[in-house]
Amino acid sequence: MITLIRLEILRSLRNRRYLFFTILYPALMYFFFVSVYKGGSVAGGVSAKSYFMVSMATFGAVGAVLTGSAQRISLERKSGWVRQLRLTALPGRAYTLAKIASCAATTLPAIVVVFALGAVEGVRLGAGQWLGLVAVLWLGSFVFAALGVALGYAAEPSAVQPIVMIVYMLMAAFGGTWYPISGSMRNFARFNPVYLYNQLAGFIHPGNTLDAAAAAGLAGFLLVFVAAAAFLYRRDTKQA
Amino acid sequence: MSSGEEVAAFRQVSKSYGRVKAVSGLDLVLRPGETVALLGPNGAGKSSSLDLLLGLREPDQGSVTLFGGAPRAAIEAGRVGAMLQSGGLMTDVKVRELVQLACDVHPRGHRLADVLRDAGIEEIADRRVDKLSGGQEQRVRFALAVAGANDLIVLDEPTTGMDVSVRRQFWATMRAQADAGRTVLFATHYLEEADSVADRVLVLHRGRLIADGSSAEIKAKAGARRISFELHSSDGPFEEAMLRALPGLVSLEVGGHAAGVRSVRIRSTDADADVAGLYKAGLYPRGLEVGSLGLEQAFLTITGEQDAEDGVLETEESAR
Repeated sequence: MITLIRLEILRSLRNRRYLFFTILYPALMYFFFVSVYKGGSVAGGVSAKSYFMVSMATFGAVGAVLTGSAQRISLERKSGWVRQLRLTALPGRAYTLAKIASCAATTLPAIVVVFALGAVEGVRLGAGQWLGLVAVLWLGSFVFAALGVALGYAAEPSAVQPIVMIVYMLMAAFGGTWYPISGSMRNFARFNPVYLYNQLAGFIHPGNTLDAAAAAGLAGFLLVFVAAAAFLYRRDTKQA
Repeated sequence: MSSGEEVAAFRQVSKSYGRVKAVSGLDLVLRPGETVALLGPNGAGKSSSLDLLLGLREPDQGSVTLFGGAPRAAIEAGRVGAMLQSGGLMTDVKVRELVQLACDVHPRGHRLADVLRDAGIEEIADRRVDKLSGGQEQRVRFALAVAGANDLIVLDEPTTGMDVSVRRQFWATMRAQADAGRTVLFATHYLEEADSVADRVLVLHRGRLIADGSSAEIKAKAGARRISFELHSSDGPFEEAMLRALPGLVSLEVGGHAAGVRSVRIRSTDADADVAGLYKAGLYPRGLEVGSLGLEQAFLTITGEQDAEDGVLETEESAR
């Protein structure tokens, strides 16, 4: 099992396309947004540097877990690797657990790289806040790992690829990843896990504490996604 | 008969996919140390049967056991190694890493170096799995199947994509596994493999087991031997009825009227009596040859007979 997890992490880090989309792309986007706002602040008075530092970290993290789990699982179901693994002494859930573990391991660099760039750009936080932020965003990424597993068991690779891209982009567009969500859009955004995920980082601003409603909302999404993933996994096991 | 003597058992197993009956009333027991070939045309139910055997699918009816218990339990105990036709491989890893994984997860895993050597993949151990040729991939799959001390090895068309020399080397490795007391079950398209490697041959057709025996027995079932000779008119008169009266006849062909020479081909279950009968009838067969049928011809004969029987049944059913 440990060998499997280690190998899953290793192969993710070896995959150049994966690294590009999860680390390089959000990092470039971060520089882009910072230069567009010229060091100013976004609506609500938060500095663009720290706003986009969080949103690009969540963008990278969500991308990392969705492609790392949904597409991989779907492809490996089709190729027969999942069947092959079922012929080993590994318990059936080991495969899914290893996928989630490797996702969790690869979201860390996606978060940390953008944070490092933020620090270079001049975002100043206390040590506790930095660590807290990494921990909160890292834990939040498990919600999307569960979604990724569910999507991976839901459809064929040819269908999963566009589904993942659409879900990812819609959630990002209406979740405050590229611009702050304000006004009536917030009413809808409350049902968007990416928005809630971005809200989790609010505690770094002076006078704010951890957004309990956002955390509760994400926990709810986690339960729904885990239930869906478990159902689809069982259905797949009966078919294969 | 104690269940300890059974490696695998199918008891009245049936499995359908929608309206297609993939496996129908399969009854079968594998014994320790047997090397068993599973033959059948495409769609005969070979892969479905192996899926059921390995617990990848559940039968609609009947039961499948491995070592007296559930297939999954035998797999978790590391008693079964399998190489599936549809078994994909992990990408973005090296061959060495993938085989190491198989060794690690097996309860009685072998040493990596030994597995690489036995599977003949030492020289490609540092290649990426996604950069292998079809034959190389097959050998990696084989390595995964023999990464630990299994009692049963199941192979679905293992030599597909291998060239002739690699195939020969593969079967040498496989024989070593069988000699070490392992039970080997393999499905194949290549009948000469079944003929030369297996000590028991199963023929599946339309989900049913239509023959089960040694290669020689299967050939006998098909009308085992072939007799050919020429009759020259200068040696005396001849009527086809004389040949039709021969015992054990499965088929008879008489051809070649040119220059008073007729060539005769007979397929028969009792070639010895036929040859004696020819002389008793006063015939003088020239260029007499008596040979055994290849397994391939036997296979075609058996499945063809089955098709003919099924054809009769189907027309009866549709007439109702």
